[in-house]
Amino acid sequence: MSAERTGAQIMCEALIREGVDVMFGIPGGAIMPFYHAMWEYRDRLRHVLCRHEQGAGHAAEGYARATGRPGVCVATSGPGATNLVTPIANAWMDSTPLVAITGQVSSLVLGKDAFQETDITGITMPITKHNYLVKRAEELPYVFREAFHLARTGRPGPVLIDVTKDAQQTRTVPEWEVTLDLPGYCPPTVPDRTALRAAATLLARARKPLIMAGHGVIIAGATEELRALAERTGIPVITTLHGIGAFPQHHPLSLGMPGMHGWVHVNRAIQECDVLLNVGARFDDRVTGKASTFAPHARVIHIDIAPCEIGKNVKVMVPIIGDAREALRGMLDEMPARDADGWLAHIRSMQAVHQCRQAYLRRPDTDELMPHDVYAALNRALTDRGGYRVVTDVGQHQMWAAQLLDWRRPRTHITSGGAGTMGFAVPAAMGVAIAHPHETVWAIVGDGGFQMTNQELATIAQERIPNVKVAIINNGYLGMVRQWQELFEGRRYSGTPLSGPGFARLAEAYDLRAFTVERADEVDDAIAAAWDHQGSTVVDFRVEREANVFPIVPQGRSIGEMITEAPQAVGA
Amino acid sequence: MSAGRTVVALVQSRPGALSRVVGLLRGRNAEIRSLTIGDSEGSGVSRLTVVIDVADAEHVVKQLNRLIEVLEVKDVTHTAIVERETALMKIDAPEPQREEVHAVAERFGARVIESGRDTVIVEVTDTPDRLAALIHSVRRFGVREIMRSGRLAMTLGADPRMEAPLHWQAQADGTA
Ligand SMILES: Cc1ncc(C[n+]2csc(CCOP(=O)(O)OP(=O)(O)O)c2C)c(N)n1
Ligand SMILES: [Mg+2]
Repeated sequence: MSAERTGAQIMCEALIREGVDVMFGIPGGAIMPFYHAMWEYRDRLRHVLCRHEQGAGHAAEGYARATGRPGVCVATSGPGATNLVTPIANAWMDSTPLVAITGQVSSLVLGKDAFQETDITGITMPITKHNYLVKRAEELPYVFREAFHLARTGRPGPVLIDVTKDAQQTRTVPEWEVTLDLPGYCPPTVPDRTALRAAATLLARARKPLIMAGHGVIIAGATEELRALAERTGIPVITTLHGIGAFPQHHPLSLGMPGMHGWVHVNRAIQECDVLLNVGARFDDRVTGKASTFAPHARVIHIDIAPCEIGKNVKVMVPIIGDAREALRGMLDEMPARDADGWLAHIRSMQAVHQCRQAYLRRPDTDELMPHDVYAALNRALTDRGGYRVVTDVGQHQMWAAQLLDWRRPRTHITSGGAGTMGFAVPAAMGVAIAHPHETVWAIVGDGGFQMTNQELATIAQERIPNVKVAIINNGYLGMVRQWQELFEGRRYSGTPLSGPGFARLAEAYDLRAFTVERADEVDDAIAAAWDHQGSTVVDFRVEREANVFPIVPQGRSIGEMITEAPQAVGA
Repeated sequence: MSAGRTVVALVQSRPGALSRVVGLLRGRNAEIRSLTIGDSEGSGVSRLTVVIDVADAEHVVKQLNRLIEVLEVKDVTHTAIVERETALMKIDAPEPQREEVHAVAERFGARVIESGRDTVIVEVTDTPDRLAALIHSVRRFGVREIMRSGRLAMTLGADPRMEAPLHWQAQADGTA
């Protein structure tokens, strides 16, 4: 019934059929037929021309993380494709649905070191859920269907489709009626009843139970169910870096973040708890510290859609394999009401003695602008105004954001967790801004990470994206590495002092509005001005250079061993 | 050296499937000692046996299961199985040593399949242990080449989980 199309046209129509409305990319020889075809579909398929393929990949990730729908990025063969490797690896580590489309040299010269030929399917095999080298136009409808299915179902992840130039050019009649042939891919959904019952029994009898909520809660859209379970049982909830937003932080049962930069009371609660229900987190070593010492008294219930995560790092007593939402619903059915009042009071008393985040929000005795001043002001603005998303990069500023902002809704905190990819924030924020044009998207980024991908400010300017507000926490260092050097390596600041251009002038060169803030009393006004400006903006916060993130658990140590202050202050 | 883990998998034949399996094992810190792959009872399905050195075999098996081509995978190291391996050996066998080579081969149930002027080629299919014993016994004659097929493993008795789906078997039979 459908007429003949080129492979490239089929690719465009396949994307439209999959519900794609925007893609991020850069053209080049091997992908030119696709760009040629794209022009005809431009009213339905928006293409955002990025400045570097890494930017395109992170932008697609941002789009995906903010919406839950696969993000799409496009590159040419060879260097175009290899520039996508970092975002693909990042999406792999963070279970982000991403479809990367790359052009490949013609099948006639494939394998002959043709100009710009790189074996990108070979390179990305270990960091994709699956990938394809398509040499015939006839295969395109099936491959696109399967690729999107894989990217978005089960545990989401990146999929790469490499299409030879001749496959893009060949004319054929597309066969859209395809049946997926995936006998080896059966993501679990409905969890086993017996396991749910066993888990409910364990939780009902526990004296010191804890719930740990991870990314899986957000991916599964299970925040309501999580809240219902917590409220029914009175069990306190901790949220991992990627679990932030899965449970509102002002909820009386919310404890905050565990792990390397987790709060003292949270890590202590883990070390004391007798039953730990992990919903959709994967016991990353940044959460567990030395895994053999993690939660020594706990019997662990682990809900995960990926069987490979069960028992990988932490011994699990009750594995529940399936979708987090289904699992939590199932547990709610099985779960008698109970309360954990005494236990919660105990944790709160630890919190009061050891730590409260307000202490971190208070200005220390110095005239310099502290990073905490910025977060306090930003927190006020976010709370007052609403309608925001926050994307963070990797480093100290990322941990301060996780610790110091009041997270309330899922998919409002987007960061690079598993891979820790510096340079993520600015392009990802651009993708988020396109996905949610009526919200204000703050990119919180260090001066180091900003200099890795700031070329995407040109994309933001060209596309007239009005809602990206970049907050540079400018400390003149690769701060997180410097902090480790200060605390663990005798202050030998090897390779960490960092200069930059005047960031405000740089932003102005891109025709963006920019502000520089050097004093605490200017912060609120600058944030308000940036927020109110009808275009994207950059704010350069020149903060105290050697502020540290506390608490910190030294790498490889038990999360029971937290350093809560700089060493000199400990002695004083 | 430890005994290694024997893993059997049923794999859908798609482009790059073997490469994915091998790459995954490398990336997951498993060292491949032996790998055998070939057609199975089902059309478009291969069966492979791999012997690996690895600290956490359970984790690696779960990771293999993530590959969409992998239909079933099982660590059979502690399961009742038969294990076989075929070897071709080119052995120095000038007169008068030739007689003796033939005798040793016969004792191990190996077949002499080519008898040249100075060498013979011996073929044997046996358990890994007996194969090792044979190789040990013929070393003294001078072994020029050994080509081993890699391990084959099969669980004893019916093991429906490890069988190729019926419709694929039918396709292989030509009855579908
Ligand atoms: C691409 C990449 N290179 C190197 C690192 C190692 N690394 C982790 S944090 C960090 C420092 C980040 O500095 P900056 O962006 O200024 O943020 P800050 O820690 O100062 O807030 C570095 C270099 C990384 N995570 N990613
Ligand atoms: Mg910095």
